[in-house]
Parts: sequence; C-alpha cells; structure tokens
Amino acid sequence: MIAAGLLILAVGSIVVAVLGVIRIVKGPTSADRILALDLFLTAAVALAITAAIGTGRTVFLDVAIGLALLGFVGTTGWARLIDRAAQRRHQAEIAARDDGDAEGGRP
Amino acid sequence: MTETLLGVVALVFFVLGTMALLIAAWGVLVLPDALARQHAATKAGTLAAALITLGAMAAAVDTGSWVRLTVILVFLFATLPVSSHMLARAALQEQEPDGSADEPPLAGGESSPNAEGVSRAP
Repeated sequence: MIAAGLLILAVGSIVVAVLGVIRIVKGPTSADRILALDLFLTAAVALAITAAIGTGRTVFLDVAIGLALLGFVGTTGWARLIDRAAQRRHQAEIAARDDGDAEGGRP
Repeated sequence: MTETLLGVVALVFFVLGTMALLIAAWGVLVLPDALARQHAATKAGTLAAALITLGAMAAAVDTGSWVRLTVILVFLFATLPVSSHMLARAALQEQEPDGSADEPPLAGGESSPNAEGVSRAP
C-alpha cells in the first residue's frame, strides 16, 4: 500500500520537475524562472521524503531539510536582486526621461 | 490492522499531494502572467508539501522521522509564503516599467537596453 503511494509520488515529482524545467527554459522574465526553480525544489523535497520512507533511512530527511533551507535562502536572495535591479532601471529611465524633457523644451 | 489503516492513510495523502503538486506545475506551465503563475505555484505547492509530509508521517515508523518531518513541515509553512511574497514584489517591480513604457520612447540612445528588456515581456 505504502509502496504504491511512494511510486505515484516519485513519478509525479519527476513529472513536476520536468514541467518546471520547461518553464525555466521558456520563462520570459527572471521571476518566472525563479518561481519554476522554487517548484523544482519542492519536488526535490518530495523526492527526498520518498527516498527516506522507501529506504527507511532518516538521512534523506536531513537532505530534505537542507533542500528546504536552500530553497528559501536562494529564492529570497534572487527576489531581492530582481527587485533592486528593476528599481535601479526604473530610476535610470525616469532620470533619462527628465533629461530628455529638459533638452526638448529648450528650442 | 493498524498497519493497514496507516498504509491507506499514507496512500491517500500521497495521492492527494501528488495531485496538488501536478496542478501547481500545470498552472506554472499554462497560466499567462508572472503573477498568475506565482498564485498557482505558491498555494498549490504549499498544500502539496503539507500533504506529502503528513503522508510520510503516517508511513514513518520511528520517532526520529516524525521529528524531522515536523521540522520540515513547520519550516516549509514558515518560509514558502515569505519567499513567494518577496518574489511577487520583485515580479511586480519587473513588470511596472512595462506599463509606463507605452509613452513615446525617448530619442536618446541610453534607453535602448531598457526598450529591449521591455519588448521581451509579454
């Protein structure tokens, strides 16, 4: 009974990982890619739990804890990076527009 | 008897969690917008993580596994919404120049990288 559940979980997690990779390759913005990576890490945690239950070793649960930690830190760091880059680009755009307005208003 | 019952409970939780995870991946692949994809991935992904962890708790046999699974569950519940919130703010920031770029572009050459980045967004 548990073996059937573990098989379903493993196959589903692998399918989810493949779909996440497709979104990582396709994703138009960086936020899409990071989101797909987050989902990928959730599937990885599910696979680690599957391995732990399937083999009866608790070591794989430690791996799952590490993966969850890594996913949180990585996602937060990338989100901050995107946020700051977009803000800086926006400010540069506004500054350039003001500059252009001043030049256009002169003649 | 108890073993069989726990096996059935674990199977049900595993199947439900796998379905939620597959729905999350489907939404991430199909939905048209970055924020819509965020919505699919976060809610369904958190639910899937919770269901899979509960199923593993039903299937596990020793105390060490239960403690570790509880740690995983609490940690995922604490961190997934936070990281998703920050990512949604970043996606909004990334989208925002797109809305203001409908105005006529500037003549200066400095804005060409921005224009390229904007035109790639849907």
